Amino acid sequence: MEFKIRKGLDIRLEGAATRTFKRPDTSTCFVRPSDFRWIKPRPLVQSGDTVEIGSPLFCSKEDERIIVASPVNGTVREIVRGERRAIECLIIDTTPADFFFRQYSVPQPKDSREIADLMLANGLWPFIRQRPFSTIPNPDSRPKALFISCFDSAPLAPETALLLKGREDEFYEGVRILQQLIGDENKIHLCMRKEADNGLFESVKSVHLHYFKGPHPAGNVGTQIHRIEPIDKGETVWFVQPQDVATIGRFFLNGVLSFEKNVAFTGPSLKNTGFYSMPYGADLSSIFQEEITDESVRKISGNILTGKKIEQFQTVRFYDSQVTVLEEGGRRELIGWLLPGFKKWSFSHTFVAWLFGKKTFAHDTTLHGGRRNFVMTDVYEKVFPFEILPTELLKACITKDIEMMEELGIYEVDDEDFALCEVVCPSKTECQKIIRDGLYLLKMELEGKKL
Amino acid sequence: MNIFEKIGKKLEPTFEKGKPLHCLYPLYDAIDTFLLTPKEVTSEGSHIRDAVDMKRIMITVMIALCPALFFGMWNLGYQHFLSQGMESGFWNCLLYGFLKWLPLVIVTYVSGLTVEIIFAHKRGHQVAEGFFVTGFIIPMIMPPDVPLWMVAIATAFAVLFAKEVFGGTGYNFLNPALVARAFVFFAYPSVISGDSVWISESADAISGATPLALAMNGSMEQMPSLLDLCIGTIPGCIGETSKIAILLGAIILIYTQVANWRIMLSVVVGGLVTGALLHTAGMSPVTGWEHLLMGGFLFGAVFMATDPVTATHTESGKYIYGLLIGILAIVIRVINKGYPEGMMLAILLMNIFAPLIDYCVIHIKIRKRKVNISRHKIKL
Repeated sequence: MEFKIRKGLDIRLEGAATRTFKRPDTSTCFVRPSDFRWIKPRPLVQSGDTVEIGSPLFCSKEDERIIVASPVNGTVREIVRGERRAIECLIIDTTPADFFFRQYSVPQPKDSREIADLMLANGLWPFIRQRPFSTIPNPDSRPKALFISCFDSAPLAPETALLLKGREDEFYEGVRILQQLIGDENKIHLCMRKEADNGLFESVKSVHLHYFKGPHPAGNVGTQIHRIEPIDKGETVWFVQPQDVATIGRFFLNGVLSFEKNVAFTGPSLKNTGFYSMPYGADLSSIFQEEITDESVRKISGNILTGKKIEQFQTVRFYDSQVTVLEEGGRRELIGWLLPGFKKWSFSHTFVAWLFGKKTFAHDTTLHGGRRNFVMTDVYEKVFPFEILPTELLKACITKDIEMMEELGIYEVDDEDFALCEVVCPSKTECQKIIRDGLYLLKMELEGKKL
Repeated sequence: MNIFEKIGKKLEPTFEKGKPLHCLYPLYDAIDTFLLTPKEVTSEGSHIRDAVDMKRIMITVMIALCPALFFGMWNLGYQHFLSQGMESGFWNCLLYGFLKWLPLVIVTYVSGLTVEIIFAHKRGHQVAEGFFVTGFIIPMIMPPDVPLWMVAIATAFAVLFAKEVFGGTGYNFLNPALVARAFVFFAYPSVISGDSVWISESADAISGATPLALAMNGSMEQMPSLLDLCIGTIPGCIGETSKIAILLGAIILIYTQVANWRIMLSVVVGGLVTGALLHTAGMSPVTGWEHLLMGGFLFGAVFMATDPVTATHTESGKYIYGLLIGILAIVIRVINKGYPEGMMLAILLMNIFAPLIDYCVIHIKIRKRKVNISRHKIKL
């Protein structure tokens, strides 16, 4: 099927990843429970323990079958704890020699149950996430559909076909396994960009192919679910990222367990952009040292819309396959609100730059204004391609009106779907946080827990 | 780092918490962010943000108001010298109007900002920009000869009771500028009575009635020509007279997407249709077109009804909201001879009903969503 997304916004930045593939020299690995949304970790190792690829590091307190596995061979150096002794990070020392692979005998699962058990035991289960909530699903549940978004429309996002280069067979096997996992009666939807080279994905058998056209967030899985199979209360849909599908496929195809993935290094403040192949959690400080000359930059794991600042532990998050390096803002400008603004980027048409059709801008992290209450009430709808009232949903989340949130359709959205609203908001409202808090409140309510 | 930044850095510690001048921090912060763009960077969520902020939105509205303001100032002088039977040059007229306008705008800002700053200090937030536009509009919709103390009280009342008690800009449900006008309108009827309220020359020797008042009294033969109505060389408030200047403002607002065109369009359509209907029914000698060109109708449609906070927040609600304003304004004009200017009352009334319209639109959408989802399931 074909879908056209009309509302949205493509933010153009310089610094897309060049097609060079490298491997970093790293001897440290950081695994952080905060990468997994709302997982309360229980550590299964102590500092000094030897771990190898696939051995469990911590499990979820709520469901001990869900484990997060070590991406490397090595020894646990330290378990860093933060406030209230919550685990912030597990630091693993690793030797470059035995970095990436661990060979198993090729597993031959007979049914859905066995696939789930194998994935759980080897730490592959967390690759699956569910909507609503974007959390790791309960291993006993099965979704009504599974979505794989085969393109990323976010700023500077790498082409999925490039990330999967040389891993086509693994990807096909991954899709086959996932189909077996969710059962033949449930559909797998592969969503591609119209007018792109989709040969790789079109040869996948027995799945439903969809084509999307239009600006970001066309590539967001939330937009695709909304158009193809909207979620009602009580329903779940799963989604997996293409590289992770290939990782699952590799395990079942060759018996090789590896958490290696391609990560695109992008952004205007990098000397050289390109792809790096590494396991998740790998220490990136050597790359940053080499490629960043300017001190005042922000390193982001993910894209500029939904990514997270890289601070103490210099690594890419579990689900990200992109790092963006952007200039840190904060320069003050004399009566900037009055000047014509020849170089100002804005979705609104209030700056002269728009009049002259300027397309590329030097972006930085300046907030451009102070936080205010909602004033411009019609701006969100211009970048929000859902049949949902964005302002009303945000208000329902702020006022904690759970009934209203449900009726307006909060089950269909995630914080990343509100990223563009947040970007264009003149009141500088933190839409993503509001939605995330709303979802958390809802989840607690559904599970009968207190906040 | 420029000189202002240096001065700001030096001064900032004196306004910190615990220091005697801390109570003036909102004022310091307002001046600081007025001179220099804020230095804050994004901390959570999206890492880049749109360059637009509330200050930019508000200044755009003020720029859009400028054609009407400048014309209004000139017209004030022009009407003055005309009524005195004197000839006068362009700059003389403008200067006369400017000198009439200046005390009004100073009094408005001082009175309104004082209330704003007190509340900003009490609540511990920044001074919101909303008042800059409110304070700019108030002198444009007041009779130019209104006593200044009245303006001060009306502005303070509007900011306090129409905005701050509900939580400040963004939470108000009534347009503060209109509340200020309504306050003068109802609290001091003896000073500015119903039919001469929009007249600029009451203190001068010859009083010039507005075309609207003339039309409503049935004296159609004294009406200025349509061209005069368009250009605006007629008696009236500063903001409302020149329809061409207002249209210029409307183009700026629509072009920059600061104001919603749906509201403007539907107000005009509502007014036009109602005016034409009442005219054909023989209830009013004024045609639909003339209604648009008289009084504050167009000014209200472009600058007051489009206030994003007090209008409906849903897109489809905006059509209903606008249509009803247009209809009500003309109905009030035609049926209630005592208050020929119905626009202010129509907008204020619809401000009150906007949440109700929103409520209905939201619930229709929710129902539609449910139907859509169940239809989707059947299809699958």
